[in-house]
Amino acid sequence: MLKSKTFVKKTRAGGVMKVVREHYLRDDIWCGSEVCTECKDGAPVLQQDARVESDLCAYPHYLIPDTNVVLHQIDILEDPLIRNVIILQTVLQEVRHRSPPVYKRIKDATHEKEKHFYTFTNEHHRQTFIEREQGESINDRNDRAIRVAAKWYTEHLNKAPSVGELKVVLLTNDRANRDKAEQNGLLAYRCEEYIKSLTGNPELVDRLALTSDDQNEITGSKLLFPEHLPLSRIQAGIKSGTFLQGTFRASRDNYLEATVFVQREGDDSTEVLLQGLQNLNRAVHQDVVAVELFPKEQWVAPSSVVLQDDRPSDKETEEEEAEKKLESPVLDPSRLKPTGRVVGIIKRNWRPFCGMLNQSQIKEATRHLFTPADRRIPRIRIETRQASTLVGQRIIVAIDGWPRNSRYPNGHFVRNLGGAGDKDTETEVLLLEHDVPHQPFSQAVLSFLPKMPWGITEEDLKVRADLRHLCVCSVDPPGCTDIDDALHCRELENGNLEVGVHIADVSHFIRPGNALDQEAASRGTTVYLCGKRIDMVPELLSSNLCSLRSNVERLAFSCIWEMNHKAEILNTRFTKSIINSKASLTYAEAQMRIDDASMNDDITKSLRGLNTLAKILKGQRIAKGALTLSSPEVRFHMDSETHDPIDLQTKELKDTNSMVEEFMLLANISVAQKIYEEFSECALLRKHPAPPPSNYDILIKAAKSRELEIRIDSAKALADSLNEAVLEDFPYFNTLLRILATRCMMQAVYFCSGMDSDFHHYGLASPIYTHFTSPIRRYSDIIVHRLLAVAINADSTYPDLMDKHKQSSLCNNLNYRHKMAQYAQRASVAFHTQLFFKNKGILNEEGFILFVRKNAIIILIPKFGLEGTVFFENNDKPGPRLNFDSEGPTLTVEDQHTFHIFDRVKVTISLDASNIQHQKIRMALVEPVIPGVSVALPEPEPEAKKLKLDR
Amino acid sequence: PPPVSLSSLHVDDLRVDGRGCEDYRHMEIETDVVSNTDGSAKVSLGHTDILVGIKAEIGKPRPMVPDEGYLEFFVDCSANATPEFEGRGGEELGVELSNTLYKVFNNRHSLDLRSLCICPGEHCWVLYVDVLLLQCDGNLFDAMSIAIKAALFNTRIPKVHISEDEEGVKEIELSDDPYDCMRLNVENVPCIVTLCKIAHRHVVDATLQEKACSVASLLISVTHKGMVTCVRKLGRGSLDPDSIFEMTETGKRVGKALHAPLMELLQKEESLGKKRQKVGFLA
Repeated sequence: MLKSKTFVKKTRAGGVMKVVREHYLRDDIWCGSEVCTECKDGAPVLQQDARVESDLCAYPHYLIPDTNVVLHQIDILEDPLIRNVIILQTVLQEVRHRSPPVYKRIKDATHEKEKHFYTFTNEHHRQTFIEREQGESINDRNDRAIRVAAKWYTEHLNKAPSVGELKVVLLTNDRANRDKAEQNGLLAYRCEEYIKSLTGNPELVDRLALTSDDQNEITGSKLLFPEHLPLSRIQAGIKSGTFLQGTFRASRDNYLEATVFVQREGDDSTEVLLQGLQNLNRAVHQDVVAVELFPKEQWVAPSSVVLQDDRPSDKETEEEEAEKKLESPVLDPSRLKPTGRVVGIIKRNWRPFCGMLNQSQIKEATRHLFTPADRRIPRIRIETRQASTLVGQRIIVAIDGWPRNSRYPNGHFVRNLGGAGDKDTETEVLLLEHDVPHQPFSQAVLSFLPKMPWGITEEDLKVRADLRHLCVCSVDPPGCTDIDDALHCRELENGNLEVGVHIADVSHFIRPGNALDQEAASRGTTVYLCGKRIDMVPELLSSNLCSLRSNVERLAFSCIWEMNHKAEILNTRFTKSIINSKASLTYAEAQMRIDDASMNDDITKSLRGLNTLAKILKGQRIAKGALTLSSPEVRFHMDSETHDPIDLQTKELKDTNSMVEEFMLLANISVAQKIYEEFSECALLRKHPAPPPSNYDILIKAAKSRELEIRIDSAKALADSLNEAVLEDFPYFNTLLRILATRCMMQAVYFCSGMDSDFHHYGLASPIYTHFTSPIRRYSDIIVHRLLAVAINADSTYPDLMDKHKQSSLCNNLNYRHKMAQYAQRASVAFHTQLFFKNKGILNEEGFILFVRKNAIIILIPKFGLEGTVFFENNDKPGPRLNFDSEGPTLTVEDQHTFHIFDRVKVTISLDASNIQHQKIRMALVEPVIPGVSVALPEPEPEAKKLKLDR
Repeated sequence: PPPVSLSSLHVDDLRVDGRGCEDYRHMEIETDVVSNTDGSAKVSLGHTDILVGIKAEIGKPRPMVPDEGYLEFFVDCSANATPEFEGRGGEELGVELSNTLYKVFNNRHSLDLRSLCICPGEHCWVLYVDVLLLQCDGNLFDAMSIAIKAALFNTRIPKVHISEDEEGVKEIELSDDPYDCMRLNVENVPCIVTLCKIAHRHVVDATLQEKACSVASLLISVTHKGMVTCVRKLGRGSLDPDSIFEMTETGKRVGKALHAPLMELLQKEESLGKKRQKVGFLA
């Protein structure tokens, strides 16, 4: 039966459009219950004996939650105890509309077999579909649809012969809805009521989200925050320009400070500074907020104070003191930033947060504060009866709301991850905190993998270039199992050289649009943590079928150049191919072969040819102004059994590293040119914008302090002046400068060529660039492969590939995932560094000052690539006299010693485990000696420990 | 053969198909037939088949009448209707028909154009009246006018209101209730009666055959009160003043009689509400 659904909507141009959708009703939608004999359901989901221990519903029953119950109490619904739930399509659609993350979670729950969740498409069922009536709001209609479906279930199940006591229970927190349901003869309860009745599992109550009903209890207390404006006024204000809309970014270092990033049309964007709890007005990191700018006289400068909200309870006097600390006379008006306050929240971006419980001092208290691992998130007040078991555990908590009279937001307990400090728990935490999808691949995804045993077919041979005879080899770090790339070089008869870069042909295995492709697109990148890899594609592909291992036939996408001996490209050819790598080498092995004059086999000759060309290419690139930057990278030597780090080593670069890198860059540039030529509107490219000159301030100041000049008018000038900035008596100085320069850079990003006009890659000094060479671990490369394959007629295209808007949103996801992967990687290194120092006791090391702050100096220890902060202020005792000069920047302590950037200092390093959640490396000053500030040299006792470990 | 029918017409007020001179052929009307319009009607008169759809869009009022909305007409002479319309054959006729419709309907006497105003000088409703000729079997104008009146009756325009913020920036807001809409008052919307002069007499609702015999015809648009709002002569031949007068009188009489049953029918149809069995195009 056909019905049509009609609604009117406003178009962007201000017009009004009538939209009509066809809607089909059917009578073959089954109820999904085991007891039913009428429906011809082959595998019913809902159990016959749907019994849980409850003093409200002693009979077996199915639950039907309404939309708000699903939205707010998803944590409860996900509990394994809650089974036999009917999710109505009406509910699902509303949830999807209102919260995509909750939608995904409820979908996942319905896919889980043990949960016995059944999705009933009531909107398409002939007997449960209802039309909106005159004067009925859409919410009322949906509530009615839910009741009609519940009523239908009740009557339908009663017809079954073996129904027994089985009943249908509607869960809704809406009183009107509940009353109406009861009038219709339905069983309806409030969610809290029902959960509290589950006598067998009292711990579930903790996971109930606090709904607004409960919050009203405490309205007696003082209102702490100004009211948020309603959305309509916010929108009007944004339109008229009185308010600005932007993303709220809390400061990591200072809980009383935040910025709002306001994106305006075009590239014009600004940051608005917010200071003080009142002005932050309950906004949480990542929320989309509306801010009102203060008049210019009230503008302030970002404070350079580090403030952490770690007081045991909310004492307001301290709050005020802390706020006072922010205020400091600013002499330099150029440092004043547009300042404002939050007037309303446009969209909350709350997610479940990892963190730990601070148990309340009162023993029987059920309300406790929870400290999230992410410093930018405020502490959250939760209610739990199992505080004593949760202490010392990493837990997940979700925010439910933030009333005006509460200093902290209210939330509820979601899940216990495990003991803090435990390696698996901490890895889980950092994956969750950085939003890295790390669940095992689903069956749907795995179903698109090629069937084993896999081999090259006749068909492949017909359409691909057979390069199996070539002497191809791969060079990678030791232990690498996902080999993306392999190389070859040989002399041609005409005296020129043929160089080939062969990249794993991942797009052959991952076809556009299937579950495998969607999962890879969503993950975006493989994430490498210390001792753990979170794959973008299932292992069968990443470590086997796609990996270009030696002595097996593999499919590849090859980029082959003919070059002369001056490394000038004479022609470029792209082809899908079949290769058989002759050797998988490590960088060290390859270097050894090149250096060993006695070796003259084909592989070695090929490597030497490549190495020679790479050196020429690198020279050319640097001449053009490519930057060589530095960041301290460390490698851990892991214990093979415990996987604990036993040694730290900064990464060493060999010639062969840069040899492979050079050819990858060349291949990426060649491919970028080709796909842009072919698809000027939808090529996926990578750009690296030149940083705004102000970014370099700190670098210029730092160099100036040593009477050196850094020129920043072009990448070339910067590269040259960095090369010249060498101090005879300070060999590490240049590296320090380069580390600093790296921090001045912008993020390189993916973009779609049709949506942007600036393609330049600043760091590589290339007018165009893309990623082609690592399709196993980056999704961007898969798209580039597909584009290139279409360009050379090796594969067919598909609509999304040519849609620049779709591609642009894909780029946004990839950029986000890459950034998060990077952060996760850093967090993992930091955690392993802590583990390392935990075993070492107190160490005494030499380091350099990287930054000077108002109340602290940040120190880099080159030996470990470790960065740490030496605070000159302590909460418990009065601090020394500090004198900060932002011009230098310099910091004078006790009028005795002035710290400059890059000063050499000696510090002790130890692990500070006093805050178990934020275990940190504590650094204390040893040299220069400042009485009352620096510490004495520690006993040489740790050495003994070290020997033991090194055995 | 024509001579016989002409004489019988002359003598007995009897036409080839047995009708009297002032009789219409069998007529069927159905409204709300195209769901993605704001108002629609399908009229079949004999074998003439006409579909009218009305879409309301927000536009800018004409500068001369800033407080009125307006109507736009488009007549599509589809080649389905008659083979003559194939290619661009129907274009000229289409333009002629729509010009006439514009004259007849787009004035404040037939429709309260002021009710289409949203915000004087800035926004008004523009009703795009699309007429589709599905089958031509004579007397297009009468059938079209009835279909347009029925479609206007059926038209539901979403209610909008103008909100104004502190700075005086106006914004159009749309009600989210699809039932919350505005209806048009079609009381004064005229119907067209076309009279064909055949020999010494004139007939209403001429078939194609009758039209072939006629020298000229007179188009008269008449309101329910019998007021004539527009008169046009169609065809090549000439009409003497006496017969024009006579024909006008007939037109007024016939036209006036047409409105009441039409309105009654439309109201009856609407009162059925959702229970009404839609016939649509498959009847």
